[in-house]
Amino acid sequence: MKSFFRMTYPYCLWIGIFIVAPMIMILLYALTKTTDNSVLTFQFTLENFARFFNEPSFLRVLLTSLRIALVTTVLCLLVGYPAALFIAGRPERTQTFLILLLTLPMWINMLLKTYAWRGILEDMGFASEVKVLIGMVYDFLPYMIIQIHTAISKMNRDLLTASYDLGANRWQTFLKVTLPLSVPGIISGITLVFLPAVSSFVIPTMLGGGDYYLIGNLIENCFVHTGQWNFGSAISLIMALIIITSMRLTKKLDREAQEA
Amino acid sequence: MRKLIEFRNIVKSFDGQVILKGVNLNIYENEFVTLLGPSGCGKTTLLRILGGFLEQDEGTVIFDGKCIDKVPPYKREINTVFQKYALFPHMNVYDNIAFGLRIKKTGEDIIAQKVNRMLSLVNLEGFEKRNVTKLSGGQQQRVAIARALVNEPNVLLLDEPLGALDLKLRKEMQRELKRIQQEVGITFIYVTHDQEEALTMSDKIVVMNAGEIEQIGTPLEIYNEPENAYVARFIGESNIVDGVMREDYRVRFDEREFECRDFGFRQNEPVDVLIRPEDIAIVDPANAVMRGEVKSVVFKGVHYELMVETRTGTSKTVRMHVVTQHDLYNEENQEKISANDFYVDSEDLINNEMTDQDFVSIANAQAWDIDDRDISLTRISHNIENKPGIYSITFGTDKRTEITVKVYVVHPEYVEDARHNIGISALDFFITPDEIMESMAISTDLKTWASAEAWNLQDDSPVEITDVKFDFDPAEIQEGVYDITFSTRGRVYKVETTSAHEEGDRVGLNIGPDDIHVMHKAVGES
Repeated sequence: MKSFFRMTYPYCLWIGIFIVAPMIMILLYALTKTTDNSVLTFQFTLENFARFFNEPSFLRVLLTSLRIALVTTVLCLLVGYPAALFIAGRPERTQTFLILLLTLPMWINMLLKTYAWRGILEDMGFASEVKVLIGMVYDFLPYMIIQIHTAISKMNRDLLTASYDLGANRWQTFLKVTLPLSVPGIISGITLVFLPAVSSFVIPTMLGGGDYYLIGNLIENCFVHTGQWNFGSAISLIMALIIITSMRLTKKLDREAQEA
Repeated sequence: MRKLIEFRNIVKSFDGQVILKGVNLNIYENEFVTLLGPSGCGKTTLLRILGGFLEQDEGTVIFDGKCIDKVPPYKREINTVFQKYALFPHMNVYDNIAFGLRIKKTGEDIIAQKVNRMLSLVNLEGFEKRNVTKLSGGQQQRVAIARALVNEPNVLLLDEPLGALDLKLRKEMQRELKRIQQEVGITFIYVTHDQEEALTMSDKIVVMNAGEIEQIGTPLEIYNEPENAYVARFIGESNIVDGVMREDYRVRFDEREFECRDFGFRQNEPVDVLIRPEDIAIVDPANAVMRGEVKSVVFKGVHYELMVETRTGTSKTVRMHVVTQHDLYNEENQEKISANDFYVDSEDLINNEMTDQDFVSIANAQAWDIDDRDISLTRISHNIENKPGIYSITFGTDKRTEITVKVYVVHPEYVEDARHNIGISALDFFITPDEIMESMAISTDLKTWASAEAWNLQDDSPVEITDVKFDFDPAEIQEGVYDITFSTRGRVYKVETTSAHEEGDRVGLNIGPDDIHVMHKAVGES
């Protein structure tokens, strides 16, 4: 056992250098201010946070990000649920094939896919928000479908027979049996779509032209273009808090759904 | 009683395999009907057709005077208790039971009243808020029954509902189900493969086999008057003997004529004769109809089950030569080799049926090195001809460690028993004391060493040799010649008795006219 633990040392080192240390640095940057981005001369302050919340344009960026993510998630759910239901109703072999088909685009780099979408949507005259949503839904839909499909196909088929037997027609059976039993799948689907959608910035930038300035773009800008590392760190921290809170919330919802 | 359900010529096949071959069956009001048969006989298929979950290929189902072939399951006044309960895991006990009523938009106060009545019917008062997944199998089963019955169906279908419960709980639930059925007074159609369950609960049993109904009757009728050997074997223990009906009330079997209560057969019609083990009386051999030897005794709790052989089977006796054979030691190669002389049936040599490997195993030829590892015998040469006589065969290893033994080719000496239609053969053989002492299953080994075989004279199909008789103690075998007798099964009767007997006892058996039940031979059986 001891030698087994020793095998995790390289991994711990990796995490330490590339995840833990940068996070500590972000925390540090967010709570300090410097004049020349140097680690040696700094003083603690909450100015960075105050700046974010006091400036309406920054808050608007945050709200736009949340709105885009929310609409993406709802669209994924609306498109994904019937698809998952359809797939789960096929024979076993067809199911495997359809799931494979669905996951196929996930093997391609997201940037490439987004470039392709840009080419396709360029001359079609859609509003930039529509373009962004198309790109986002396309990218995140498989996660939603797979989660819901797993939940539905795990369900005991006899329950449907039992429901018909007790006088429920197809629609009633769906509402009273299939849907409630697929709630855990819906919730993990939402988690897998909403969280990455909130912080995505490549798709909005590439498909929305200059119209979409989201929280991800803001952070990118602070670090890469304007050199405001302290402010960027603070926004990152705010984002992290939002994500953690929503994760906790969905977990709680999930637990309640399972207990009910 | 009013006819409630009528199956008319129901045919169903899956993937070209016919599961139901034209089933006709009437079911009446307030009956507890059991569809009984082995798995794959079509009983569940029939139930699912009635429930509306499957559609028959041909035929019609009439329910309460109306054809329901096109009625979807949710519109049928039938409810089902499923094999694995199929309770809704996201609902508690109360909501599961209320499911059907809520679909029908019943008022919540009426629902509460009905659910509570159901809970007390199935003895689950106070379980309303329980999570169904946390209940025991028996409790889940009760919930499933309540959930179905609360809809006040005309018919309740039960698909092997007790299959997953342990024996004690199953017995308890059998009584429960019977009580519930009598209390609510509706038709129960129960599917099972358990004959005891069927006998305990049913008003009417439908015995099914390979997509057809073999017999319909009360438990008593099915048990006492089975229509054919299949039903008799499926329900209860039975002795079934080939016989001939001489005239009304007289049947001949086991070379004797018996008085019986059956009539209406053709003169000299071949029949199956059924005698239940508990109907055979064990008496003093002096005044018995049949005499026999107790072959085995099994204690069954209330009674003993004896196997009594009233007539020995076909037998053949051979001589076993026990000789000490010294292993040959090849000092140069450090290898040892051994083999026995052996007998061969010249018939077996005709078409070169014997391979070298066969010779190795008959001669029990073996070679091994200094560390006791087996060495394969790769060089085998012989001058055996297909003529009676004495020949020799040499077995050798790669390193030319060799042993030569004698081969006695003999003419076959079969015992042909025309009366029983059985032939049996076995050959004399040579063996070493060591091999006998080391044998783990002496009877099986003796059969192998003697090449003992029995077969049906008509169609050459193999017949089992059930008895190997010898009078030596394998643990203390000495050199010499011993007689071994191989025999097939004779006429053996299974007898249930409360008196104790021992293996080898000579007993008399008495069978009265009431104990003999004559059945028509099933179609397709000769």
